[in-house]
Amino acid sequence: MANVTLEHITKRYEDVTAVDDMNLDIEDGEFVTFVGPSGCGKSTTMETIAGLTLPTEGTIEIGGRDVTDLPPKDRGISMVFQNIALFPHMDVYDNISFGLRLREYDQEEIDRRVEEAADIVQLEGMMDRMPEEMSGGQRQRVAIARAIVRNPDVFLMDEPLANLDAKLRVHMRTELQRLHKELDTTIIYVTHDQAEAMTMSDRIAVIDSGQLQQIDPPLVCYNEPTNLFVAGFIGSPSMNFVEGEVTADGFDAEHVTVDFDPDAYDVSVGDEVTLGIRPEDVYLADGVESVEDPSAVVDAWTDVLEPMGNEVFVYLKLAQDAELRIDERDSDQLLMSVDPDVEVEEDGEIDVVLDRSRVHLFETGSGDAIVHGLD
Amino acid sequence: MSRVDDLRGTLAAVDRSRAALYAVLFAMVAFYLAPLESGLATSIKTEAGFRATTPYAPPPLGEFTLAAWQVAFDRLSQGLINSLLMAIPATVLSALLGSLSAYGLTNLDWRGQTGVLVLFVAGVFLPYQSVLVPLRQFWSAVDLPSLIPLGFVGSYEGLITLSLTHAAYGIPICTVLFRSYYATLDEEMIEAARLDGASAATIYRRIVLPLSVPIFAVTLIYQFTQVWNDLLFAIVLVTDPSNQVVTVALNQLQGSFVNQYNLQMAGAFVAALPTLVVYVLFGEQFAKGVAGES
Amino acid sequence: MLGGLFGRSERDPDDAESDGEQRSRPGGEQRLRTDGGATASASAGTDASILTRLRRSEFVESIPFWGPPAVLVGIFVYGAVAWNLVISLIGWDGLGQPEYTDFSLAAYEQLLVDPSFTSAFWNTLILLLVFTVLSLAVGLLLAILIDRGIRFENTFRTIYLLPMSLSFVVTAIFWAWMYNPRIGLINTALRGVGLDVLTTAWLSNPDVKLFAIIFALMWQFSGYCMVVYLAGLRAIPRDQYEAARIDGASTLRVYLRVIIPQLGASTMSAAVVLMVFALKAFDFLFVLFGVNPGQSADILSVMMYRVAFDRLQWSYGAAVATVLFAMALSVIGPYLYAQYRRGEL
Repeated sequence: MANVTLEHITKRYEDVTAVDDMNLDIEDGEFVTFVGPSGCGKSTTMETIAGLTLPTEGTIEIGGRDVTDLPPKDRGISMVFQNIALFPHMDVYDNISFGLRLREYDQEEIDRRVEEAADIVQLEGMMDRMPEEMSGGQRQRVAIARAIVRNPDVFLMDEPLANLDAKLRVHMRTELQRLHKELDTTIIYVTHDQAEAMTMSDRIAVIDSGQLQQIDPPLVCYNEPTNLFVAGFIGSPSMNFVEGEVTADGFDAEHVTVDFDPDAYDVSVGDEVTLGIRPEDVYLADGVESVEDPSAVVDAWTDVLEPMGNEVFVYLKLAQDAELRIDERDSDQLLMSVDPDVEVEEDGEIDVVLDRSRVHLFETGSGDAIVHGLD
Repeated sequence: MSRVDDLRGTLAAVDRSRAALYAVLFAMVAFYLAPLESGLATSIKTEAGFRATTPYAPPPLGEFTLAAWQVAFDRLSQGLINSLLMAIPATVLSALLGSLSAYGLTNLDWRGQTGVLVLFVAGVFLPYQSVLVPLRQFWSAVDLPSLIPLGFVGSYEGLITLSLTHAAYGIPICTVLFRSYYATLDEEMIEAARLDGASAATIYRRIVLPLSVPIFAVTLIYQFTQVWNDLLFAIVLVTDPSNQVVTVALNQLQGSFVNQYNLQMAGAFVAALPTLVVYVLFGEQFAKGVAGES
Repeated sequence: MLGGLFGRSERDPDDAESDGEQRSRPGGEQRLRTDGGATASASAGTDASILTRLRRSEFVESIPFWGPPAVLVGIFVYGAVAWNLVISLIGWDGLGQPEYTDFSLAAYEQLLVDPSFTSAFWNTLILLLVFTVLSLAVGLLLAILIDRGIRFENTFRTIYLLPMSLSFVVTAIFWAWMYNPRIGLINTALRGVGLDVLTTAWLSNPDVKLFAIIFALMWQFSGYCMVVYLAGLRAIPRDQYEAARIDGASTLRVYLRVIIPQLGASTMSAAVVLMVFALKAFDFLFVLFGVNPGQSADILSVMMYRVAFDRLQWSYGAAVATVLFAMALSVIGPYLYAQYRRGEL
């Protein structure tokens, strides 16, 4: 058990900086998830912690000990890999005990620890199975047992569920949470799947272009994203963004206006700002009750409807001739989520209301958040 | 009605093209086996027999004999033994070295390994003529019996020289074969072992080597036939007749029994027998080795 | 509210990409991720940490594995090639030991005016080209036939590749018998179908000698080409055949327009192996003709052996060997460079 501290960690390759001045403090026993898009540097960061890659600059401390130059095996960590990476020619027992046998523990100690680890991941009675005889989920349990058995201070998990099918992934998610509770060990977890990050972590570290964007509890990242990147990355489907500027009356864009007093916030008239609003914070104007101040009304035309069962996603165009782009949010469209029993027709004109208390404003240039929720 | 006719026509056309396909395939079988078949038929005929009959026909009654095989075997048996003594250590040695270098150049990552690898790969394509003269000079300067003070070295000097030479020149192709296999090993698996505290040597011994069995089979089989079949190194490096390998012995047999084709053919089969057996038993591995050369 | 959050776990398809791939992304080049550290760390840390890093670097760890084999290859391949070059410059003849005192290009000047070198050079080129093209063509045909979903595929393949497992000494003896002018199978067969006009003394008639050799070598190597092409064919997705068939293309057109153009890589690698073989082909001719195949079938590899080991003109032989090496280099150099550029090394 230990805390992990990264100070000014930078990893440069010939002409690319994969990790750029990363500073992190991970508490003892904390479950921290690194999320970010492909190639953002989250795996490289984890590999510097593991010691599989040496940072170009910076120091890493685990449990108050500088481990920057230590080989992986001496860092008190163990790691679970995306490919599961079992040794195919060894049975479960040999796989789990490999590291212990290398360190020449006595046989009784090895047996005791292997049994204990297998117990935790519920692999009893499978000790002499070969990896090829097991299912994906069972193999992943062996990989986790292999990590547990070393009794590490820190667990590193690099997309351990990415290669499992969707159902098993959800199941293993719960198991990992149980494991964390049971072991109470620091876990650093890398994923590109923000649902995994949201459900399991104590804190999420959102990484982009090698830089730490925000590290906060999941709901803080969700409700108070520090910048446009985090706002767009966390949440599925992602936040709507509308670019506009600050006027004396508040926010003004081609198709959207939201009134507020600029003096009440850290903005001045003429500032270029981006308004952000999550799909579930957009409501039909007809019979809206849940919004306290339904003053931010927007004219829209419905386009595609996506019924998801528990909700319906409605793609809205803010100009009748706007072109709908499903994959990206543009200033002339909004995505709205409504209850399935609400009747919405395709290709109709409707009014929608933005919940003022859940409107975010960002500086368009820097992307930094200005305010979360208007009065 | 007409649709049924159409169908019949199509089926007939399919049948015809299928038949043509198999006809070509069998014609090619005849082409590839003809030299062997006529050789085999000739090898079991008497001299009068093979002069009087067509080469591919089986021996007529009374012209059947195994005498040629008998003579060929007597003539080549020492060569067969020598070839085995030479080829097996050479094959094992270059496969082992190839496995080690492929591991060092594939599963351990470091800058510049491609450069070293290019030097290995280029070695695969080396025309041996361009090293023959220096090679002869090198081995005439090396006094093996005094380097390795073991009783048998003196009497097998030629074979040891040849074996070591083959082992060295076999390293490039063996490295290429092993590398293509090692490149498919899961990198994370090796990192996992490293995390468990395994050194590069431990990873090789406990993980990579046990997983190399299939590629060892391919390399050993392919390299064995290559070494066994060589003539050039053998005629340049082995002077002592008692150290003669089977290809050289066969070449001499051919030279000293001009026009005794039955004897020549029997000799060719005797010399080819070990590689033929290996090929028939392990054709799949041989094909993989052949394909790996490219 | 959280329902909308987890409605879809994959934000967009790009994200589903595994992180394993990303690792190689930073430099756009593979294996950048772990670069040994020794160089990367040079700018950071104290001397002691540089030492620790050096000790830990995979480069240092890897030396015991590839080092000894590399030394052997270095000595036996590259050292020997260099030594050969030196020998070619010192005018060494006969039974004595070489003296590395006077260096001159005399041996190479002699090559330029030696008619036997000229003919051997051209014969080598003819062998190289005709043998390569012929073997590739036959190999491709075999591969396509085998790939037509036939029965006993393994047996056919095994038979076609069989000659490749035999020693040239063995196959030369077989073909000497095949080509026997009076009672060999070739002439017997030609007479049998009434083509007496075509019968000839295949291995002594200077007009056909070289082509008789090429034909026999093609017999031995076409199976190899088949294996390479078959691997190439199997790598082409089945859908492409079907797509082309649905478009109404005939089988022939499917192969000519869709399939064969995709076999470029197979053709290239097989061609390189065949050409380099053509340069070093020795055993086969040596068994048939000894050191004197005659002007019409003499090739550089045989000439090299004859000059050096029969006539003991070591330096001259070494010069021929250097030419052979240069020719091999001109074949494999571009090939290896192309492989390197495609990241296949």
